[in-house]
Amino acid sequence: MVQSLLLFDMTFWLYLAAFALYVGYILARRPGRELAPAGHPTSGMGESDDGWSAQIGQVATIVTAFGLVVNSVALLARAYERMQISGTFAPWSNQYEAMAYVSWAIILGYLVLEFRYRIKSVGAFVVGIGFIAMGAASLLPYRYQTAEPLVPALNSYWIYIHVSVTLTSYAAFAMAGGLGVMYLLKERAERLGRRSSFFAALPDLETIDELGYKAIMVGFPLLAFGVILGAMWANYAWGGYWSWDPKETWSLIVFLIYGAYVHARMTRGWEGRRAAIYAIFGFLMVIFCFWGVNFLLSGLHAYA
Amino acid sequence: MDGKSPVVVESQASQRAAPGLGWSEIKAELAGFFASIKLAMFLFIILALTATIGTVIQQGDRPEVYIEEYGEETYRWFLRLGFTDVYHTWWFSSLLTLLCINSLTCFYKRFPAIWRSMRQDKVGVALPFIQGMKHTAEIPVAGSKEGVAEGIVQLLAEKGYRVLAKNDRQGVNLYATKGILGRVGAHMAHLSATIIVLGGFIGSYWGFQEFGVCLEGETYHIPKGQFDLRVDKFWIDYYENGAVQSYNSTLTVIDEGRPVTTKTITVNDPLVYKGVWFYQSSYGDAWDQVEMARLSVMDKETDAVLETVDLEWQKEADLRKLGLKLTVTDFVADFGFNSIEKRVYSKTVEHANPAIRLALTERQSLQATPWIFYHYPGLFDIAGSKYRFELVGYKPRKFTGLQITKDPGVKMVWTGSTMIVVGITLSSFIYHRRLWAKVIPSNAGVIVHLGGTTHKSEIDFQKEFRKMTERIRTINA
Ligand code: HEM
Repeated sequence: MVQSLLLFDMTFWLYLAAFALYVGYILARRPGRELAPAGHPTSGMGESDDGWSAQIGQVATIVTAFGLVVNSVALLARAYERMQISGTFAPWSNQYEAMAYVSWAIILGYLVLEFRYRIKSVGAFVVGIGFIAMGAASLLPYRYQTAEPLVPALNSYWIYIHVSVTLTSYAAFAMAGGLGVMYLLKERAERLGRRSSFFAALPDLETIDELGYKAIMVGFPLLAFGVILGAMWANYAWGGYWSWDPKETWSLIVFLIYGAYVHARMTRGWEGRRAAIYAIFGFLMVIFCFWGVNFLLSGLHAYA
Repeated sequence: MDGKSPVVVESQASQRAAPGLGWSEIKAELAGFFASIKLAMFLFIILALTATIGTVIQQGDRPEVYIEEYGEETYRWFLRLGFTDVYHTWWFSSLLTLLCINSLTCFYKRFPAIWRSMRQDKVGVALPFIQGMKHTAEIPVAGSKEGVAEGIVQLLAEKGYRVLAKNDRQGVNLYATKGILGRVGAHMAHLSATIIVLGGFIGSYWGFQEFGVCLEGETYHIPKGQFDLRVDKFWIDYYENGAVQSYNSTLTVIDEGRPVTTKTITVNDPLVYKGVWFYQSSYGDAWDQVEMARLSVMDKETDAVLETVDLEWQKEADLRKLGLKLTVTDFVADFGFNSIEKRVYSKTVEHANPAIRLALTERQSLQATPWIFYHYPGLFDIAGSKYRFELVGYKPRKFTGLQITKDPGVKMVWTGSTMIVVGITLSSFIYHRRLWAKVIPSNAGVIVHLGGTTHKSEIDFQKEFRKMTERIRTINA
């Protein structure tokens, strides 16, 4: 128990450091020179850096990657500890572990994005959320952080797949939420005509918008899959695939919210600012589904 | 047509809204209304909003509970609006039905066009059409128009595009498409909604759900399954630290008098026989029988314990030394007495005030049937007897709570679920891309006019388009 808790702690500090480094990276960038007319990046989406910013950016990426490794090891250690006490290993069997897993998925998703699109400034927002998630987990009371044996209802191979898929979708929605915040900040700075280099250092609005949309397009099928896996599990455990339990219902609500988003994207005017606000709203609903339901509403889901 | 075709269709629909009176106008009007994305968004949001009600107000509780928490007036409103059982109200069902109609109409109106475009599409287009596209490029290449066109076809085919070519007076026209499966996926999702809702409806109409309290060793008839079920055993497994690991019942299905299958069910592992599912749902101590009762026989005068015996349920024990014959005939967990019917019953299922009834024969002559209370020893005196009896303890009989369900709609729900997951996944990760190219001879070789659109994922397509432009520039023909 001690080992994994220590590693989770380390993860938290590494993500905090990475977050700070990404902010530093943005501050160090001098983008004025390379600023292309809005919407028409000159040499691809990739950011070209020089001097300080390039070095800080590199360190930020390395620290993030190292944080991800520690996070993975922490989850593995927790899986091992679970195996010792109860013969099941899923390292997402209580609220704390679930949070740590979500952070892991957020950071992994972010690194994929960074390598694929060569954009680092997103890190300040998305790694920021990963760090907050990890921090929120460590604020949970100690009794929620330890690995207790699973109650009979959770003790099933379904927990491996249903919970991990659902949590991964949360991570994708978190990323979309972070990108939404980024969009709004940059859009506001542009609208007010601020010539702040901080905002100018962020990718152009269209790119942020598209990335946010992509994140939701990853989260949406995962959530659908997760909800249906939950229904299949319920069919084995509770004697019916759908019993309108609060957690179940809230997952459906979140699904409907993003369903509206996906369709809204196809009608005029639902890009950019409105889509960003909606993505943040959706993410807040995800947070409620993840935390609020567990702590505020009572139901069959035996978490926490 | 740009990539966001629905936008175009939507605006056409609203332009067509001129008043007409004939059936075909009404039909078009209705189809336009039901196929509209605005309605879909509205329904998604309204369903999300109303679904929250049932997570805030507890569902299907007793009236007293609501009245105590919300007051009588509010409760009356709850009843009117169906807030105590939101998900089964007529209006919630109507919203779901509307969503089904909405998505079916959408499928009906839009899918044929996608189906058709899978086999044929416009190959030759005018130059301004290409130049007006979101992604467009003019690439001078050295070479003959046939050679360059050949090179482009190869390049596109390499990238997985389906390519069509057509010659005209100006030059060579090319059309390439990829990822239509993504849009087929979206429509798969649209059909699935109705399948799931229908499956749910069939289940609630032709299915059943019951709860059975079953004792070890007993056999029960399952009328709706037309077979019998025997409960062989019930037990609980514990972790080392004392927490419960699993609840287990061993069940045997008896069909036409013969045992057919035996299975030990646990919370996540039900028994299924002939479409009837048996779930381990709860357990507890029986309130009307015990397995064994331990009784002390005492001398009424001296209070000395003469003998302590374990009496099996409804089996006579012969205590020769004392000249006694004892049988435990009844048990109640929470003693209650109905004074009108003169009948003893258990007030609750809790073991709050347990008592056994003894049938005793003393020296062949005295017969009595006293109730012996666990918590109140010596409450009643047995007149004429030398003895006093004390119930020292008892071993309760466990019952296992089984949930018994049958749901003929469940296969349909899984079919729809598979479709929705596959459909959404396809539509999320495969995006429909189309490219048009015109290869037109110029003074120094040819000029390739390339234009492309994507259904979504603009930045990936932008990258791909730029790379493609570079590759075409370097074609050697
Ligand atoms: C009932 C649940 C529904 C689900 C799960 C669903 C799901 C989806 C998905 C995943 C897509 C692909 C999105 C994309 O390409 O970005 C899509 C596209 C679409 N949806 Fe739905 N949808 C539903 C209901 C509806 C309804 C009621 C309408 C009514 C108008 C509708 C209209 C459309 C249209 C027009 C498209 C674009 C299709 C195309 O690419 O040609 N959807 N839907």
